[in-house]
Amino acid sequence: MGFLAPWYLLVAGAALVPLLIHLLRRRIGLQVEFPAARYLARAEREHSRTLRLRNLLLMLLRVLAVVLLALAAARPTTRSAGAGHAPTALAIVLDNSMSTGVVENGTPLLEQLKTVARGAVAQASTEDRAWLVTADGAVRGGSPAAVRDEIDRVKALGGAGRLTDALARAIGVVEASGMDARQVAVLTDGQRTSWTRAVDVRGDAHVLVWAPSRAAPANRALALVEARPVRWTPRGAVAVRTMSADSTSFRIALGARTLARGTAAAGEEAMIHAAPAERGWMAGSVEIEPDELTADNTRHFALWIGAAPSVRVAPSAGEFARNAVDVLRSSQRVVEGSGIVVAAADEAGTIPALLMAPADPVRIGAANRALERLGIPWRFGTARRENGVVRGTGDQMRGVSVALRYDLVARGAASAETLAVVGRDPWIVSGPRYVLVGSPLTADASTLPVSASFLPWLGDVLSSRLHGEPGVVRVATPLQTVARPPGVDALESTQGARTPVSGNAFEAPGVPGTYFLIEGSRRAGALVVNSEVAESQLERWPAAELGRRVSSPAARVAKTTDDWRRLAFSGASRRSLAVPLLVAALLVIAAELVVSTGGARGIGTSASGPLQTSS
Amino acid sequence: MGTAVRPDLHDPASLAALGHVEIVARWIVDGFLAGLHRSPRKGFSVEFADYRAYQAGDDLRFVDWKIAARSDRWVVRQYEEETNLRATIVLDVSRSMAWSGAQLRALGGLTPPTRLTKLQYAEILTASLSLLLLRQRDAVGLVRFDERVRSAVPARARTGHWRRLLAALEEPGAGLATSAPEALTQAARLINRRGMIVLVSDLLMDVPEVEHAMRGLRAQGHDITVLHIMDPAERSLTGAGEALFADPESGMQVPASVTDVRAAYNATVTEVIEEWRTMFASFGVSYEVIDTDRPFGVPLRRAFAARQRLP
Repeated sequence: MGFLAPWYLLVAGAALVPLLIHLLRRRIGLQVEFPAARYLARAEREHSRTLRLRNLLLMLLRVLAVVLLALAAARPTTRSAGAGHAPTALAIVLDNSMSTGVVENGTPLLEQLKTVARGAVAQASTEDRAWLVTADGAVRGGSPAAVRDEIDRVKALGGAGRLTDALARAIGVVEASGMDARQVAVLTDGQRTSWTRAVDVRGDAHVLVWAPSRAAPANRALALVEARPVRWTPRGAVAVRTMSADSTSFRIALGARTLARGTAAAGEEAMIHAAPAERGWMAGSVEIEPDELTADNTRHFALWIGAAPSVRVAPSAGEFARNAVDVLRSSQRVVEGSGIVVAAADEAGTIPALLMAPADPVRIGAANRALERLGIPWRFGTARRENGVVRGTGDQMRGVSVALRYDLVARGAASAETLAVVGRDPWIVSGPRYVLVGSPLTADASTLPVSASFLPWLGDVLSSRLHGEPGVVRVATPLQTVARPPGVDALESTQGARTPVSGNAFEAPGVPGTYFLIEGSRRAGALVVNSEVAESQLERWPAAELGRRVSSPAARVAKTTDDWRRLAFSGASRRSLAVPLLVAALLVIAAELVVSTGGARGIGTSASGPLQTSS
Repeated sequence: MGTAVRPDLHDPASLAALGHVEIVARWIVDGFLAGLHRSPRKGFSVEFADYRAYQAGDDLRFVDWKIAARSDRWVVRQYEEETNLRATIVLDVSRSMAWSGAQLRALGGLTPPTRLTKLQYAEILTASLSLLLLRQRDAVGLVRFDERVRSAVPARARTGHWRRLLAALEEPGAGLATSAPEALTQAARLINRRGMIVLVSDLLMDVPEVEHAMRGLRAQGHDITVLHIMDPAERSLTGAGEALFADPESGMQVPASVTDVRAAYNATVTEVIEEWRTMFASFGVSYEVIDTDRPFGVPLRRAFAARQRLP
């Protein structure tokens, strides 16, 4: 047993007062004339034994009452008994990840979790401190009433959140509270993909977890939605893959209109081709029929739509480049014209242009002069005749090797993007309105022209790098940290609301959707925010496994919500004895009153019956 | 006079504050007789004495209808009753009688400060009872006693005797002890044939002595009525706190806490009353406990009923 306010034990000294009154014969100052004193003397004589016992009992009850009140004021706590709980730092981790929006038994699981959480908060006393930690890691603290209001306001996130981080943060909050009793109470759907790793609980905080034991309902979701390519000229395709046990119908929306409808077989990717009339950066989405979890029934994408680029292939570009452009032209990805030049650097006269090293080493000097004339801050350097493996930013460079290349040497503060490297050396670089390749597009210089990825790569370079408005598409999950593209100063929602961004990185919005990247007053790409695909996998851990996910000897998994509510303060290592002691003190005081009045009346009635009058 | 304002049913302290014992006693007796309605004097041997004006409550049998028809005035006929009873009232005037519960107000009791002492109450009761008996042509005597007999007035029924009784009531008393046996013996001597003795006392005395004297009087054929005068504060302890309770007669001091001993005290008083009642009943003595906050009509009715039982 311990005491939270031990100095109040000194009050127990007041118990000596009734004891001394009982033991010491006091001097009675008041004298009254009373002719019937003989009756008084007889009463004391005849009832002396009863009176002595009664006085002794009264003294004991009064001493006991004082002691109990002093003990209650000292706020004792114990490990084994008592009512209520010791003052506790309680952090409720409420899993409001997207998956908790699933409707079970007619009610969203999150609402069920909130009801249980409110039940725990209702048990909190004014001496407790409470916090609510949601899956996004947000911590809200305050009085029990304030926390209850916060629980009411909680809504499901658009993604998975960071549940394990939230748990770690909750543990940190209660550990920092400085209170003896520290409890973290977790309400979660127990989703396997959320509890992928064990959470190491530091300190001695008690962790209580509850998750539904029933199986999660079957869920249909969109696993992939992507515009291919991102830049449509104006033809393109939307790739759709669903996560379902059977085929699923879907609708593709572009802006506010339906672009196409289709059906995707289970687990297979469907490509829907289109050539919309819209131009510029656009937001699109794909929807499937709603099911128990509606949040993952829509997935977003972004694309740029413009006219097909006109391309002129110079003879110096080589046979492979010319043939590839012909194929692109036949598929209407490009048209004949002089908008973009594909040529060896020594023959380049205008930009935008796709330039490569000349096949003749003698022409390197002329190529460098041409680069200088065009304002391109790169020069061809030393020739390297050695085999090297190319690594690029995407899959298109996989398996590509180089046998002949020239070092690409930057001049001044070159603002460029390296698209592919050999070893540590840049091999393909891109800048404003140019793409420069460090080798000729010949089969003896590199395997790129003869690889399967050459045609898509060339199409992307022509339509994305060298044609139309510049810009990028970034993909993120809700609340994910995103590197800020250079020049972007705001995000614009499809409803037109703008959110300023700054710094090297910013946090993606929590609500899935397409957000345009704004640079000054123009759109410079888009940020596509979609929930994690894994969040749509609703399978749950069994209770035992969930318990093992919390690496703490003080972790418990409640079997039912009632158990969870009951045990929400069990982490308090001690239970308060103040209330039982106060109740006991009140009972003792009541007993004292009964003995001093009612009990004494009983002496009279038992002796000779009630007082009677003779009238 | 209506029931609501009948003096015999009025609060004793308020009534006593209105005048001298003589006046108050007359009001009480008049009110008492007016409230009898059906003639309490039925069966007495009577002869016509006088007329008086009709009062509400008078028996219509005694209205003189001839006079009412002639003069339009309602009068009732009054009769002189033959005397066949000699009564002596034995009044305790010891110091314990000069006490009221108002003296316990220091303990926080609720006793009003105007409450009559037991003696004041007993004197008014005695005056009223004697007047009532005298109006019935009974002979009434008075013995006042404390530790000894203070005064003794022989029983007479003639006009003016009541004033002699009143004068005796005003004589001093309040001795330090109570000796009822001697007073009772004196009363018996004043009644030379079988009669009625009314003892008015707080009975703060030893039972065996009283019992011995009572048995002697009963053996002589006297009819005895005991009116045990008690203050309500004696019947039941009120208030709280501790005090030294002192008997003004014996000087005995009893320290006690009112709260602690209240129940035991009340039980003891009940026991004492039962002892008196049992003892008196064992040899045919009427016994009534009279609280000093009860209207005078109540004890008067008790004593008058005892009178009516006599031949």
